[in-house]
Amino acid sequence: MGLPPFVWLILWLILSAPFVYIIGRIDVRTGSRRYLAHWLSLLCMALAWVAFGRVLTDFFGAGNSTSDVSPDFVSQATWRLGAITMRFDGLSLLLAALVLTLTTAILIYSRSYIGRSEGAEKHYALLLILCGVMIGLGSAGDLFNLWLWFEAMAIASYPLVVFYHRDRTSLEAGIKYLVQSSAGSVFILLGISLVFLSTGSLDVLEIRQAIESAPTGTPLWVIAGVLFFIGFGIKVALVPLHTWLPDAHAQAPSGISAILSAVVIEAGLIALLRALSALGGASSTWGALLIGFGVLNMILGNLIALRQKQVKRLLAFSSISQVGYMVVGIGVALYLGTTAGSQAGFFHLLSHGLMKGLAFLAVGALLFAVQHGLGEPGSEENHHSLNIEDLNGAAQRYPIIVLVFSLALLGLGGLPPLVGFMSKWQIMVAGAQANDTIILIVLLIAGLSSVLSLGYYAPLINAMYRRNQATVISQGRSVPLSMLIPLIVIGISIVILGIVPILAGWLTIPAARALMAAFGQ
Amino acid sequence: MYREFLPYLIFLTIGTPWIGAFIVWVTSDNRPRALNFLASAFSLIAAIAALLLLDQSQWTATNEVSFQLPMGPFIGDMTFVADGLGVYLAVIATVIGSLTVIFSIGYMAGSAQLSRYYALVLLFIGSMCGLVLSGNLLFLFLFWEATAFCSYALISFHNDDPKAVAAGIKALIITQLGGVGLLIGIVIAAANLPDLQVSTFLAQSGSLPSNILAVIAFSFLFAAIAKSAQVPLHVWLPDAMEAPTPVSALIHAATMVNAGVYLLARFYPSFVPVTGWTTIVITVGILSALLAAGMAIMSNDLKRVLAYSTVSQLGYMVTGVGIGAIFQSQFYLFSHSIFKALLFLGAGAIIHELGTRDMREMGNLWKRMPQVAIPFLIGAAALVGLPFFNGYWSKELLIEAAFEYNLVVFGLLVIGAGITAFYASRMCWMVFFTKPQAAFESFAPVSSPHRPHVHWSMLLAIFILAINVLFAWLTAGRFALWLRAVLPYHAPYILHGHDPATLISWATIFSISALATLSVTILAIGAWWWRVRSDRPADVSGRMSLAIRWLDFAFNRSVSGIASVTMSAAGLLQKTQTGQLNWNTVGIAMALIALLIILVGIR
Amino acid sequence: MSVTQALFAGIIFILAIGLYGLLASRHLIKVVISLQIMVKSAILALIAAGQAVGQINLAQSVALTVIVVDTIAAVLALALIVQIKHHTGGLDAAELNRLKH
Repeated sequence: MGLPPFVWLILWLILSAPFVYIIGRIDVRTGSRRYLAHWLSLLCMALAWVAFGRVLTDFFGAGNSTSDVSPDFVSQATWRLGAITMRFDGLSLLLAALVLTLTTAILIYSRSYIGRSEGAEKHYALLLILCGVMIGLGSAGDLFNLWLWFEAMAIASYPLVVFYHRDRTSLEAGIKYLVQSSAGSVFILLGISLVFLSTGSLDVLEIRQAIESAPTGTPLWVIAGVLFFIGFGIKVALVPLHTWLPDAHAQAPSGISAILSAVVIEAGLIALLRALSALGGASSTWGALLIGFGVLNMILGNLIALRQKQVKRLLAFSSISQVGYMVVGIGVALYLGTTAGSQAGFFHLLSHGLMKGLAFLAVGALLFAVQHGLGEPGSEENHHSLNIEDLNGAAQRYPIIVLVFSLALLGLGGLPPLVGFMSKWQIMVAGAQANDTIILIVLLIAGLSSVLSLGYYAPLINAMYRRNQATVISQGRSVPLSMLIPLIVIGISIVILGIVPILAGWLTIPAARALMAAFGQ
Repeated sequence: MYREFLPYLIFLTIGTPWIGAFIVWVTSDNRPRALNFLASAFSLIAAIAALLLLDQSQWTATNEVSFQLPMGPFIGDMTFVADGLGVYLAVIATVIGSLTVIFSIGYMAGSAQLSRYYALVLLFIGSMCGLVLSGNLLFLFLFWEATAFCSYALISFHNDDPKAVAAGIKALIITQLGGVGLLIGIVIAAANLPDLQVSTFLAQSGSLPSNILAVIAFSFLFAAIAKSAQVPLHVWLPDAMEAPTPVSALIHAATMVNAGVYLLARFYPSFVPVTGWTTIVITVGILSALLAAGMAIMSNDLKRVLAYSTVSQLGYMVTGVGIGAIFQSQFYLFSHSIFKALLFLGAGAIIHELGTRDMREMGNLWKRMPQVAIPFLIGAAALVGLPFFNGYWSKELLIEAAFEYNLVVFGLLVIGAGITAFYASRMCWMVFFTKPQAAFESFAPVSSPHRPHVHWSMLLAIFILAINVLFAWLTAGRFALWLRAVLPYHAPYILHGHDPATLISWATIFSISALATLSVTILAIGAWWWRVRSDRPADVSGRMSLAIRWLDFAFNRSVSGIASVTMSAAGLLQKTQTGQLNWNTVGIAMALIALLIILVGIR
Repeated sequence: MSVTQALFAGIIFILAIGLYGLLASRHLIKVVISLQIMVKSAILALIAAGQAVGQINLAQSVALTVIVVDTIAAVLALALIVQIKHHTGGLDAAELNRLKH
């Protein structure tokens, strides 16, 4: 068949999901309950990795290696069906790698976490769909396609957020997420129609050419750009569009919170960048806007996180601030037209994905351990969420989990030699090369907010290493290996990437180049 | 000694403590003897490696590299340079570190979570060595952060005690704020220089535009002020005394706080041309020296007195760097580390046996704990600057340099010496020679005939330090020669016009500055003696003391004020998260309208 | 006023109605209806744009896809609302206020 490997990958993931669901339902119906859905989804994931391997050889084999210095390089694999264009370039590669890694981790992790609870098969199937759809989002080559995958991602995530559908707080979080997300998608559609109106095409590259060759700039695509910012920005949790995030990320099951915080936000950012690249003519404006939003995110996210008592909510606000760093890095790159900043921003995207994913998984593991002390998840009454003081003294009973959790938190706080510091370092150096006073002030704010973030990461770590245990900890049950393994693997990768960040270069450099090429730099 | 051992020695100095930290970490808390042994062994190995680095054949100039690991384009090479500034501090870190670990055998006996304690201490020792031996700016920053983290973790070691936790967070935030300064400076340097090597910076800093160099200079200064607890960022150090006393001795007297002075000394040649830099350095140093000394007089907590004393003595060192007396400043650092560690460890032994830190509850310890009293008094004598302990030589050389630089600076430093003598006398008197105050008499052990038994490990550490105080100053001349040989960028500033051979000599003893200082010191001791004689209370009162107390209060209040302002701002922002769907959607609409207005309006 | 201009005025009008409903309604069903109205205005915009640039076929297929996808989203929203009604007993957005600060 003439389909490029990445299309196969996406199709496989999406099409295998219904099978997983059906087999899971059969499993439930026959009462044998042998984790069939789980194993099947792992199998599908394994095959997806094989497909990804093909994608990689295709991508790097055709000359798009990291030593390639061609600046005009745009895309690698293109696939057209009528007006639909799918393009797999560096950005797609980065997102695909991140999504696949985290989805695999969460699938392994969910074996015990979701276990045999009601709706487990739905969970696995939706995870697979979500994975495939996000890879599709990364490879969208025209605006409508982009919207389609984006909307599919949102739709796939709604039931996952409301997984505990008997719990009224989950429902509340879900409806707010849904309404705000849908509003966003409307704005995106309006933006698309404006672009369509002014250029007559939906393909990203064609649009950019049309804009660049237009006689005079019209405000139509500025308005379109604003609409894109707001529409995609809701998913990326740019302040002040972020209000849904703390609720949704705190109420979802921890594996889903990990996916949401670690990947869905990033996917939204990449979608935003793709859409803006079509309007590439004013890239310094978009860069400045990104920097502005980024500063707001850093400040608001860190400040509110200081006052949080619930652990998952604290992590959610931390995500908001981390988005700020990512967006500042990429914003600086667009504003100045340099590759260095975007590479740094993408590295932070990758590192944040790993660290925040790990953090949520670790919290989930601890939550799993103490759940029976807090009330069954998803029950209507007595749903008591995990507070910081519930984690007192956890290090004695769960040393490994607490260790990797501390590593993730310290990395998020920017402590060397973990990967969080390395990505922040690169962002700062990229910004400093500008010798622009405003950017230096932005970097100063970034540094200060990093210090501020320690104000809530450090007490959390401290609480876990106390001697007096919280009651729920001392009554906690043991955590199975299937939950520990993903934690340890991601934890090791955080440390290694921090020491040798060049290892991630094969992902971040093509992404950076693709971005700058997309913006016509 | 063969030169090719050099990389191994450096690796041993820095790496052994880390390996030790990891091994100790995984050793169970239920085997304290194993933990004690492992921790001591690893730190001793590092100490021996560092001492071996003192051999002349290992000396490397700043612009040469002792050990190098290429780490890719973003970071440059991970280099280590064993030059004079670095090795001496590494020796201090490892030797005092191992003595502290030995001391901890007795002090922390019976404590819980011992593996975490030793792991953190070892991690700290390794990081400190890495910091001073690093030839790459990024790695310097990395080790800087690692030491800050270890310091935080060790201050709040007893993390069930909210005071300790609060003190730890305070220290962390303030030193990290300084860290931001260092990071900004390094980032700007990285953006403007070909690579991140320290030697490159020192060599090419002259080619940087002056405003950029000024930004870097003041950022570094800010970082140094935070790290070395100089005024106005000194407030974390007295609170950090919540840490176990061996930690206070190691981190907050002998090593980490010296990192700031090291930073200033290391980059002094580059920053001298920046207008106003040296002036501010000197001002900060003198302010710290005098103000902290004044606060030391007011305090009744033994460790707090020592903490303020550290701030004050660091002020001397900072002033030394400011006036360009690099050697004197480093020699002072060297001597101070030894006697301050001695004082802290001695205080630790006392506190451990008596169970209190309040000096008003102590007394008569001269009779009851002579094995601790004598070394402690030796340390105090060094602090005060009595001849011929190491404190005397270092203080005299520094003040003499001030004398040649500027008489005002000289005068202020001499006054500081007097205040130092005064509070030191007060401290020794209250701890050793007097009876506990009537209000605190109920504290039983003091009036009992029981003689506290001090653990052998504590005594051993204290004795070794005391011997060093008595004799280590003999190496001064050699130290100076070495510095001059291996620091090409600093050489013009090292003992300009002096001959190192004459450092320890009758000429120094009988110089004007030395005699002046000595007389002021003796006057101060006499003043305290007179106070005691006239039965004045141990608490010093009066207008001057009120002013100092008010200043101390003001500093602490401003720091906590900033913290509460931040929390209030956070509270205000928190209100935007109303949880109301309609509020959220209105927020979205507002953002849309705002953006439209901004962008379309600009066009 | 030409057909296109009238169309666009109409689109903005419908969008405004939807937006107002979204911001001001407290009843969850009203919120969903408002969202639907906004989506319809977006679809109209797509069609109008397609007509204006002469790519009406592309616009039609796009619009149809949007209708389908949007229906799925609406179904999910309504299912969620049913659950909310079942477990909460009310549909007032202001009442759904447990998660805050």
